[in-house]
Amino acid sequence: MATGAGQPLKTTRPSSFSRASSPSFSPSSSSSASPSLAPGVRIGANGAAFVSSGIPDLDRILGGGFLVGSVVMVMEDGNAPHHLLLLRNFMSQGIVHGQSVLFAGPTTEPRFFLGTLPSPVVQKEGVKIMHDTSDVQDKEKGLRIAWQYKKYFGEQNTVDSHNRDKKQEFSSDFDLRKPLERHLLNSQNIECISTLDAIDLTKLQNHCSTFVSKLSRKDAVNLNAGRIAIQSLCAPQCGYFEKDWDILSFIRSLRAMVRSSNAVAVITFPASVLSNSISKRWQHLADTLLSVRAIPDEDKDLAKLLTGYQDMVGFLHVHKVAQFNSQVPVILDASTFSLKLQKRRSLVLERLNQAPVEGSSGVSYGTSGSCSSSTGSPLDF
Amino acid sequence: MAEAVLRSLRDGCLEGEHAPALSLQDSLLSPLASHALHHFLTSLLSLVANGKSQSRGIVLVAFDRSPSFYLDLFKRAGFDTSTVDKGTRILDCYTDPVGWNDAVHQSGQNSLITLVKNVKDVDKLLCSIVDLAKEFGGEEKERVVVAIDSVSHMLRHAPLSSVLRLLSNLRCHEKISSLFWLIHTDLHEPKVVGSFEYISTMVASLEPIVQLPDYANGNSGNITSLEENYSKAKFNVRLKRRNGRVKLFCEELLIEQDSVKFSSVPSISSVVTQNLIPKVQFNLQLSDKERMDRANVVLPFEHQGDGRNIEIYDGRRSLGESEKDPSSTKTGGLSGQNKLSNNNNNQSERGEIHYIRDSDDEQADSDEDPDDDLDI
Repeated sequence: MATGAGQPLKTTRPSSFSRASSPSFSPSSSSSASPSLAPGVRIGANGAAFVSSGIPDLDRILGGGFLVGSVVMVMEDGNAPHHLLLLRNFMSQGIVHGQSVLFAGPTTEPRFFLGTLPSPVVQKEGVKIMHDTSDVQDKEKGLRIAWQYKKYFGEQNTVDSHNRDKKQEFSSDFDLRKPLERHLLNSQNIECISTLDAIDLTKLQNHCSTFVSKLSRKDAVNLNAGRIAIQSLCAPQCGYFEKDWDILSFIRSLRAMVRSSNAVAVITFPASVLSNSISKRWQHLADTLLSVRAIPDEDKDLAKLLTGYQDMVGFLHVHKVAQFNSQVPVILDASTFSLKLQKRRSLVLERLNQAPVEGSSGVSYGTSGSCSSSTGSPLDF
Repeated sequence: MAEAVLRSLRDGCLEGEHAPALSLQDSLLSPLASHALHHFLTSLLSLVANGKSQSRGIVLVAFDRSPSFYLDLFKRAGFDTSTVDKGTRILDCYTDPVGWNDAVHQSGQNSLITLVKNVKDVDKLLCSIVDLAKEFGGEEKERVVVAIDSVSHMLRHAPLSSVLRLLSNLRCHEKISSLFWLIHTDLHEPKVVGSFEYISTMVASLEPIVQLPDYANGNSGNITSLEENYSKAKFNVRLKRRNGRVKLFCEELLIEQDSVKFSSVPSISSVVTQNLIPKVQFNLQLSDKERMDRANVVLPFEHQGDGRNIEIYDGRRSLGESEKDPSSTKTGGLSGQNKLSNNNNNQSERGEIHYIRDSDDEQADSDEDPDDDLDI
């Protein structure tokens, strides 16, 4: 255990970690050697620390993962439960890495949600090696042909490429059909709170502040991260549903608590049940803002427009990406991705690709994806 | 199809799931939702009477109209009294909702109707509904369908969160098979309507067939055609399916003598899907097979062998682009541009490039001045 001796830590780690991807403690691979890294935390550009979201594609899109100390908000679509996929992967990743997790949900028994968390796919060694060799081949090819579209290939690799082998352990692929092992769920650093009958948010706020107080940053000696996952914070069933300003105060205080500690908070909320102005305030409070949307079923127009329509589960739209310690904003090439289930078990995010257009009239359907249901204007290419 | 909605209400809920809930919405421009509600009520009663549905009866919470109206409705639809007696119970929130009229008491004449004197107490309302549900058959597994005549009316008396709590409690109650209600959208703020849509599994909204003409700009148009809106409407349904997708469809609702007919609309406009289409890109990436095909293309360089560009023939800058042609079929937009170089002949299967050098055809560079050809 490479934790500092003087730090009183409450995290108890389960003994049999062999199946799950083992956190790496090799100090040599990280560029900044002095802080000993906690499991599941990676140092990225500008000295910012990342934790994985549980979905490797999403980590890549966001430039490394979720920033430690940030608040991520996911706008739900009332028509489909895709936000739960994101929450599940997020929580599983934390549990697999031994990080403490706090979960709050609008059900009578939030512990039952833990039973739906996926377990990580066992990585085979051969896969890891293949990644490295194909990388070398790509570089060679670059010299042979002056390929002007090369800049579109692959995302900008802002992360240290020395951490190549560590990358596999930072974020795992999760098998959505297999539930997480019992012994991992019984560890003491997983808390569940129900928000269903709460008349106001003081109880949740108290829980969050005790949770976060165990994770405070102290001279960056020890980065032990924690995760807060709140499902459907403003769900209509909750007792505090109409107290808009109280909920906003809670989010503001949560944001302050999380910012000065090593925690990441993910909050999902259905934007359609809030009034426009309050919804805007929620969105503004987020450091990273994502939204999920449902796909219409058996839609021939959409099937003609997009490739791979049959396998798609939903859309994920990235509105805002957090950036600490830098004044350069993150600008993405594409902000809408499709959620797909690969082999029915792991979640992948793909860019939306236009299907080959038949005939000379390439009618463009490009509409800017907006999560509020206002009409978008068609773009002409 | 409205049939799909009816089937979903009829089949009710599976074990361990919440009951399906339908939200019927309308507005002032097309106020026909109550007709749709009556249609669903009568259809469900016939299914219940024939034993084809999961539920044993219907519990109707009547706010907008008196219970006798509903009994008449059933009679006009052709149900005999015994079917109605066995299959329905009505919670009367119409006669005396807030208890002002002391003269009105629970009359013993009709055992079907239960009077409610205080609709502000939503918890008590929930208990009354569940009690009525328990009256249908003594067995544990019997379920009922609950219909709420108008949630808009309910919201007059009780706050939004308690009404939503009532509906979600009904949805998870073991005695309830399915649930549907009526709401008038222009009486409430959008977030209220949004909350009801959130807790429902099906949303059916009625829209006007004839749009309102633009009075503000002095264009009064043909007012008489607006009357059509009172007999016809567009019935748009959004179903949430188990696979996480949304099924959208649109039908036309027609009011006839005493009944309602649904007919399919010939042209389904794709306006509905416009909102959902995000920005898409051309696929500029290669799949693995395409990458291998591209690697197999032999490039017509002067010196092959070590992969370095010793000599690229000068006039053939477009070489780099057009040889991409055989290996990727997905870049639809690019293929049109690359017909320029007419000396290259690409075979799509194996990615060969047939290259004929221009210089072999021409004479060596003579001292011709091309400007000599000009005739000025």
